[in-house]
Amino acid sequence: MRGPHETPPPVGGAERAAGEEVPPVESAPDAVRLLRFGAITRNAHRIHYDAEFARSEGLDGPVVMAQLHGCLLHRAAAAFARGDPGAVRALGWQNRAPARAGARLVVTGTVRETDEATGEVTLDLEERLDDGTVCCRGYAVVVP
Amino acid sequence: METTAVDLAEERARALVGRVERRSLRVVRAGDAAEFARAAGETSRRLTDPDHAGFVVHPMYVVSLLRGAPGAADEEYRPDGMYRDEVPGTDGLDVALMAGGQDVRWTGDVRPGDAIEVRRTLTGVERKGRGAGFLLLTVVKTYGTAERGTLAEVTERFIVR
Repeated sequence: MRGPHETPPPVGGAERAAGEEVPPVESAPDAVRLLRFGAITRNAHRIHYDAEFARSEGLDGPVVMAQLHGCLLHRAAAAFARGDPGAVRALGWQNRAPARAGARLVVTGTVRETDEATGEVTLDLEERLDDGTVCCRGYAVVVP
Repeated sequence: METTAVDLAEERARALVGRVERRSLRVVRAGDAAEFARAAGETSRRLTDPDHAGFVVHPMYVVSLLRGAPGAADEEYRPDGMYRDEVPGTDGLDVALMAGGQDVRWTGDVRPGDAIEVRRTLTGVERKGRGAGFLLLTVVKTYGTAERGTLAEVTERFIVR
């Protein structure tokens, strides 16, 4: 398995075998990142910065925005496609568990299938906390 | 049986299914897109440096924007900080809102200078879970410009409890 942020080998849709690993990508979005991300996306939902409010909603504290989870999944898919953000044609995910501010998140994945006609490669992706909790489960379609 | 806030949200949401709403996200600026990429933790200059020859707008930027400039007026917010109209049927109700996930398909690249219009339709209202349970709302959105048509299609799910 390659380490986080290492460059994957050159790709070509038909060359990617089902089951091949997507190089892991990690991030630990802290309170500062959540504030910056919330500001630029104009997301003022208090569960992302107000600890007392977040607890009143049954959370352990401020949590990572869904769109920021999406960005991490997108980064993993783009890295698989040699770092080309435009190579990601589709991305989907389900939020399975919240992630507290500062928690380390790691996205891993595998190739589900390749479409030789279109060159599209479908990836199954998963984002987990260090304790193994799955925060997001999703997929991406890339055209390397 | 007492009617709960989730019951009311469900009733209201069902009445809104199929109604099309439109919203402008205004003009995409390269600096804002780069700021988004930096806030998301990206390090590639293609995403973070508008002066880079290969600069592109982060594909997640527009679909992550809840409002365009200049933002919303005070009366457009709920006490929890969400926009009153963000989750259909929940305006004025004491309910907890969570994102359930998204499916995004890009059909074109968003470029600096694009004036983005969002077309939004509530397509699904489901009651889930045991007891009072929760609502799962499905909203379909398209993002595009008058000149270039649809650039991204999004299916977004919200949890109301």
